[in-house]
Parts: sequence; structure tokens; C-alpha cells
Amino acid sequence: MKSVLGDRRAIFLLLAPALTVYSLIILIPVFWSLGYTVFEGNAINGFSFVGLDNIKQLFSDPDVHQALWFTVRFALVLTAVQVALGYLLALLYVFVLRKASNLIRTLVFFPVVLPTVAVSLLFQQLFEYAPRNGPVNSILNVFGIPSVDWFGTSTSSFWVLILMETWRSMGFYAVLLYAGLVDIPEEVLESSRLDGASGLRLVRHIVIPLSMPVLLSSIIFSINGTLKIFDSVIALTNGGPGTSTTPLTVLMFQTSFGYGEYGYGSAIALLLTMLCLIVTIFIFRSSRRDLTKA
Amino acid sequence: MLQRGSKTRVIAGVSIVAAGALALAACSSSDDNTTDGSSSSTAGKSGSFTYLSFAENTAIKGTLESLSSDACKDENASSPLKVTTQPQASFDQQIQLLAGQGALPSIFPAGNSPDVAKSLDKAGNLVQIGDELKALGKQDDIIPAAKSTIEKLYDGKDYVLPTEFNVEGFWYNKEIFTKVGLEAPTTWDDLVKDADALKAKGIQPFAADGKDGWPLSRLVGNYIYRSLGADALQAVADGTAKLTDSGYVEAAQKVADLGKAGYFGKSVGSIDYTTAMNQFLTGKAAMYYMGSWALSNFNDPKQNVIGADNIGFVPFPAVTGGKGSADELAANVGVPLAMAKSNFDDGAKAWLGCIADNYGAAALNTGGVITGFKVNDDATDVPALTKSVQDTIANTSNTVLWFEALFSPKATTTSQTNAALLATGQLSPSDYMSKIQADLG
Amino acid sequence: MTVIQHPSELRPAVKASSVSGRRRSARRPMRTIGNVVLAALLLLIVLVPLVWLVMGSFKTQSEFLNNPAFALPDSWTNFSNYSAAITEGHLGTYVRNSILTVFPALFLTILFGVAAGFALEVMVWKGRGTVLIAFLAGIMVPGQMILLPLFTIYFKLHLTGTLLPLIITYTAIGLPLTVFMMATFFRSVPREIFEAATLDGATIVRQFFSIGLPMVRNAIFTVALVQFFFLWNDLLIALTFTSSDDLRTIQVGLLNFQGQFGQIEYGPTLAAICLNVFGTLVIYLFLNKRVMKGLTAGSVKG
Repeated sequence: MKSVLGDRRAIFLLLAPALTVYSLIILIPVFWSLGYTVFEGNAINGFSFVGLDNIKQLFSDPDVHQALWFTVRFALVLTAVQVALGYLLALLYVFVLRKASNLIRTLVFFPVVLPTVAVSLLFQQLFEYAPRNGPVNSILNVFGIPSVDWFGTSTSSFWVLILMETWRSMGFYAVLLYAGLVDIPEEVLESSRLDGASGLRLVRHIVIPLSMPVLLSSIIFSINGTLKIFDSVIALTNGGPGTSTTPLTVLMFQTSFGYGEYGYGSAIALLLTMLCLIVTIFIFRSSRRDLTKA
Repeated sequence: MLQRGSKTRVIAGVSIVAAGALALAACSSSDDNTTDGSSSSTAGKSGSFTYLSFAENTAIKGTLESLSSDACKDENASSPLKVTTQPQASFDQQIQLLAGQGALPSIFPAGNSPDVAKSLDKAGNLVQIGDELKALGKQDDIIPAAKSTIEKLYDGKDYVLPTEFNVEGFWYNKEIFTKVGLEAPTTWDDLVKDADALKAKGIQPFAADGKDGWPLSRLVGNYIYRSLGADALQAVADGTAKLTDSGYVEAAQKVADLGKAGYFGKSVGSIDYTTAMNQFLTGKAAMYYMGSWALSNFNDPKQNVIGADNIGFVPFPAVTGGKGSADELAANVGVPLAMAKSNFDDGAKAWLGCIADNYGAAALNTGGVITGFKVNDDATDVPALTKSVQDTIANTSNTVLWFEALFSPKATTTSQTNAALLATGQLSPSDYMSKIQADLG
Repeated sequence: MTVIQHPSELRPAVKASSVSGRRRSARRPMRTIGNVVLAALLLLIVLVPLVWLVMGSFKTQSEFLNNPAFALPDSWTNFSNYSAAITEGHLGTYVRNSILTVFPALFLTILFGVAAGFALEVMVWKGRGTVLIAFLAGIMVPGQMILLPLFTIYFKLHLTGTLLPLIITYTAIGLPLTVFMMATFFRSVPREIFEAATLDGATIVRQFFSIGLPMVRNAIFTVALVQFFFLWNDLLIALTFTSSDDLRTIQVGLLNFQGQFGQIEYGPTLAAICLNVFGTLVIYLFLNKRVMKGLTAGSVKG
């Protein structure tokens, strides 16, 4: 059997297409881009070797600090909210809605399908403050709360972004986590219920531990996605007000494409990749521990 | 075991290289079989007149295309017009890439900032259009005001075509002014007094697009020109003055003061371009600083509720005791076009001559756009408002640029993204200026 | 770790809990009302934007600028936005381009990705862990990083006037996630099946196609669904590699109604979006049925 499963020709045949395309289109450009890190300049003015200057600049550049802080903050908050909300929805599907959940699941998944342009236009209109109150401010006014200039300060812009992305993706995580929850054998649930555990207790001590693998996969997936948020930010706030909602991806894009500083832009990209790597490894490590425990 | 593992890796490595070679071979042979007939961005080998356009800009494309079927039909027959597009955000990089390959198109926008064209010119890539036009005897096709602006932008050189000629100033609602008993302001102090009177009557004095920032930073730049003279920003570019000098910071302070007094209305930072335009055109704001490209909106009865004859124009007012004068109109040449030396064959030369003679009339006819070209066709029917602007331009010989005109792309972004913060008081004038100054070096 | 061959194996689990649930809910009618309210609220949050979208596609520009966001359109038969989207907006061309780029790329991604997942998870060889991690690294790389080098590569290969750069890039972008997810799904496939097939004389490659592939069919639909929308809604890559109007995809085309100063013609933009969304809705509903089956049949475990 080992010789069959270890058949070189077969492995090559099955793996080669994917590996080839991946190497040529992703790996090589990535290394090429990383190569730029030690240079300065662009295609017209030529490149000059600057060694580690670009990387050193990362440490002292306030724009990078601001973008890094925003990126990390945003990714952590959004992941927590997305996955938590998705999990709650999944619990809703499994324990409360049950049979009816199929239709609801499908409909709640729907925002995932919408293009970024549409969603950002929508949210801009919803949270409008000037010249005229949008629906959200109007509803707030009904409760006696004064209108908020949602896009005028960095904090409120941050939360509108979080809200927009959550609205967009909660259906997705709900479905993903639902798969994990449904996998939990009914016998385990029944026996725990007979033992007296119900509701919150049941969830905390039985359901969460048993669905940990899915949860962790979702968290990894979410973190990697949210650390690299791009389209949504550009469409909704364009990094504003000022540069307060500019994540590293947007900063990198502006630096490379807008200012023509390929070297520094690649350095920023390197920083982002390192961030994703560190976070992913961290989660992997802690997940391996959990899995062996379970 | 190790040997067998490395063998697989070698096979994998070889196959990747082989695949790459195969791809190269296949693709170079299918070079002529582009699936949809649109040309690649390589140089026009068959002598075609290639134009690389901003994807978002349809005005120039439209005008060139109408020329190709009308006034420049002959030139088009021998050197057909071929248009490709590139999104504005990555345009500069595309141009740099093409320049590096020696594959610049025949004619193309000179980049998102003058820096791009300047570096292209330094590398010897650009046709010296001013000289070429003189050789063709067509140098008068460019209006003097446009020539002055071009030379100010490009260190005294003349290698771009002014596809637009826009003057900027304050457009105001005549009806509102009469109602409140105001006259068009000629000094900055008048402007502030007028705004105060309007606000007292509950009318929003200014409509401004704070979201994009530049309508606000224009005000800063204009104040600098009026108070410190027409060379004030060239001095900054040359390094003999700094934006953090008190005279410059004062300009930012004045704009911040307008915001503080609430003259820009609620949350100017969230007002976008369309909304600001609409505020003015529906009579919700009395004054609107904008360029004359907005004439197409002003002349559109669907958008213009207050009526085109109700709109007046006054240049940016003078600053009492300042070195500049209100005669120096703030102007720009829109998206200037440059031409590549590598593609400047006879066909391109003929096109240049034809464009010089006819672009002015064509742009006016197809889009109501005022260009830096002379309009050689007297039969064009021009709306009254446009005509009055044209007359103002004809009487102008000295122009000034805008705030970010001579800045690097990074400084331009900093200036524009922070302008709303300046106007809403979230960023102090000195911080605003020092941020920009930091990015200028 | 359960090996689920058939979705029906799951139905007993659901039925059992619903039996006990029915007993419970009979005792507490309030709970059912609470469920309904909850579900209704959820649907409201999700579907209200769709309503806004449709209403907006019937409004004129001045209605957008001057009337409140949720005001009803002046005329429900104002189709001028739709005709503008189709004619000026060249929607037909863009739809064709989107289809021509996304579907081939999706097909290739799935084919290559599943094969690679099989090779990495089922087959046994030294170095497969490293290769898997190499693929995983692809998920961590920000897409903007590779734009310029890729553009140079395509330019040197003279591909820039065609749809090929898009197809190739889309295929490559989808690979890391596909390979990773497929490897995960293959982990739960029992090796005994392949042993049996080998004894019957089938080569491993043949087994891949006739056994492995069908086994993860539902997982394939899941990945296909996710990748499809990721590719269909992609803006940045399409924007960079489409150098002329003929080549644009729908997402790039939606920007058509935005001017260089940032002006937006809301009506035609929303009409184009509506057409786009309702078109993809059909695909979505179709794939969704398989996906729901798939997600409940193949576990996504760490």
C-alpha cells in the first residue's frame, strides 16, 4: 500500500499543476516583491541598493505605527465580533430554529454575496449625518439621542467599518460554525441534558469544547482575512478621517502605487505578512494543545 | 530515502521551468491572436496613434474619438487611433513600466502629478511639444493663459497639451446675495463678512467637498498666493521657504477660522463632491469654490435648480496688504497630455497638428469643456455662463497654480486627506502644515 | 472524528433533538414566539438593504441627493437606470468577461486544488508537510504585493491585451485556500477504501478520479461557492489587469458611473448592482443547496 500511496509519478501528476501555477503566480512575485525591500526607487528613476534602511524606517515611521495599530485593533475586534456572532447564530440554528433554520441560514448568508461597492454605498447612506440624517440617525433621534457624525471621527468610523463587515460576513461564519455544531453527536448532548446541564451550562461545558476545531479554523481564517482588509476600507472611508482608518494594506498600496516607493511599500507588505504568520502560528500552537487535550 | 526525496524536488523544479518556457513559447507565437482585437500597451508598431487613458476619464477619450471620425479623419486613416485604459491609481506605475520597456504610447496623460512627467522628460522620453508646435507654425493654438500655467507646472518647459483650461474661483447664488443685500466679495475680509451675514440669516455660506479635501486645501493655497505673492509656493518647492513659516501657517489658520465659525455647514468632512455640488445647485448654500469644469453641471437644467443665469463668478479675493492680486486667476490645465519621443513618427506629428487646430472646438462641442486650445470654430453655440468664463480667461495673462501643484504625491495625499480635519478643528493649522512639510522632503 | 458517507446519517441526530424540542416548546409557547421574533429581526437586518438597493435602482439622481434614504422612488417604472446600465454601462460585455474569467479559473482551481490536496494528504511522501505549509503561506500574503511583479510578467509574455492574466491570476489566488481545505477534508477519508481499490487493480490516479473526487464532492461545492464569490466580487486584480473596456469585468464596470472627481451616478450604479446581484443569486441558491448538504457532511476540523 505504501508503494501505491507513495507512487512518485502519481504524486507528481496530481501535485504539479497546482504547485506550478502557485509558484509562478504567487511565490515568485512574492519573493520578487520582497527583493524590492532592500532597494529604493522605481522603474523610471532606477533602483538603488539601500540595505536595511527601509526596514529600519518601519520602526520610526509614525504612519506605519498608526496603520499597524489600526490593523491589529481592527482585526482582533472584527474577528471576535464576527466569530462570536456567527457562533451565536449557529447555536440559534441548531438549538432554537432547527428545521426552519435552512431558509434562515440561506437568507442570512446573502450579504456575503454582495459586491463591496454595493455594501459600502449602502452603509454610507445608512449612517449619513450631513447634509441630512440617514436612517440610523433618524432612529436614534426617535429615542431622543442626538445625531452622531459617524464618519467624522476615527472611533465612530472604526465602529461603522466593524458593523459593515460583520453584517456582511456573519452569515458566512454562521454556516461554517453550524457545520461544526451539527457534528456533535446527539447522544452526548442528550446524556448531558439528562445529567442536568441545560442552556448556558450546556453550551459552555459541552458544546464549545466539542466544536473547538471548527472554531479555531474559523478564527484563523477570519484573522488572516481581517488583517488584510482592503476593498471595504477604501470604499467606505478611504482610510479617513485623515489617516485614522488606514490599515497596512492601504498604506502599502499607496506607498507602492501612489508614491512610487516600491522598496518601502514592499517593506510594509513584509511587515503585514510577518504579522499574519505570527498570529497564525500562535493560534495553531494553542490549537494543537487543545486538540490533544480533547 | 533522502535521495528519492530530492529527486522529486528536482523533477518538480524542472517541470516548473519547463512549464514556464512552454508558456513563453506559446504566448510569443500567439502574439498576433489577441482574442478581442484590443491592442496591448506595446508601441504602435503599425504606426497607429495609441492613447493610454485614465480608466475613469472619458472626456479626453471621447474628444479624441470624435476627432478621429471628423476633423482628423485623414490623420486617423494613416495612423488609426487606438485607446487603452489604466485605472488612475496605478497609472503612474504603468507609465513607468512602459517607459522602462521603451513602450510608451503615442500620447498619454502626464501622470497623477507633475513629478512623473518631469522624470520622464529628464530621461529624454518626451516630445518637446511647444517646440514642435512652433515648427508647425501652430503655437498660437495654445492660449497664453494655458501656456503660462504649463510653464509654471513644469519648471518653465512646455511639453504637454492642455486638454482643459479651468479657472477656479467662487461661484455664488446671485438671488441669495441680492436677498441678503450682499455684493460679490473682492477682498478676504469682505468674504468673511458676507459669510457672517449669510449665516446670520440661516443660509449656509459655503458648500465644500471635505471628503476629497482638495476643495478646502485650494483655499489655503489661494490665500498663500494672495498674501505672499505668486511665487510663494515655488519658493517652498525650491526649498527657500517652508510651509511652517508663519505666513503660510496663517493661510491655514484663516481656513480653519472659516470652519470654526461654522461657515462650511455640518460635518464638512463627510460631504462628498456630488453632495456639495448639489447643495449649491439647489440653493442650499450661497457660495461654492470650484473650477470651471463644473460648467457642465451648471449648464445642465436637470442638476441646476437655481438656474444658470443665477450664478455669478468672482475670482478668489485679494488679501488686504498682500503681495498678490485678484487678477491672478487660479488655473489648471486638467489632465495634460504628453507624447512619447519613441512613437513620434509622421503619423503622430500629423495628429499633433490636427489636435492643436481642432481640439478646442471639439471639446467644447462634445462636452462643453473649455480647453487650453484656441477655439477655431466660430460656429459653436456656447451657453451664456460658459461664454462669460471664456471672456474672463481671454483677459487673463497671469495665472497661479493650486496648493498641491508642486508637491510630491505623498505630500499631496497628506494635504488632501487632512484638509477636512483642518477645517473641522481636529488638526491645528501648524500641525497641518508641518505634516505636509515633513512629506515634502 | 466521524466518517460520514451520506448526509442522511445526520438526519437522525436532528430528528432526535427536535422531538425533545417539540415537547419542550409545547410547554412554553412564549419560546416559539421568541423564536419567530428573533428570526424576523434577523431577516430584517439582512434583507432591508436589498430593499434599499431595489428601490434605489428606480430613483433619479436628484431623488438620491434630495430625498431621504428610504423614501420610495417617485416612479416604480423608471427603467432609465437599467437601460443606462446596460447600454452605456456595457453590462453585456462585462457579464461576458466576468463569466469567461471566473468560471474557467474556478474549474482549474478546483481541479488542481483537489488533486494537490489529495497528493498532500492521502499520498505519503517526504516533504509533503513543507509543501502544505508553502501553500498555507499563500493565504497570508496580501494580494497587493504581487500586483506589480505579475503585471511585469504578463507584460513580458505579451498577455496584457487578453483575459488570460485574469484567468491565470484568479486560478492561482484560489489555490492556497482550496488546497488547504481539500487537504482538511481528505483527512477524514478512510484509507481502507483505497486499499480495496488497489487490490482491485486500479492505479492511484484512477482512484483519485473515481473515488477520491466524488467522496469530497460536497466539500468541493463548499469551496466552489466561497471561491466563486471571492473571484466574482474581486475588484483590485480585475482593475489592474483590464487595460481596455472590452476586457472589464462587472465589478470594474460598476465603477463606470463614478467620475474622476468622485461623482457617483447612483441610479445606474445601483441598477447595475441589482442586475449583478440577482444574476448571482440564482447561482448562489443552486450552489447553496449543495453547500448546505456539504457542510453538514464534511467536517472542517483544524
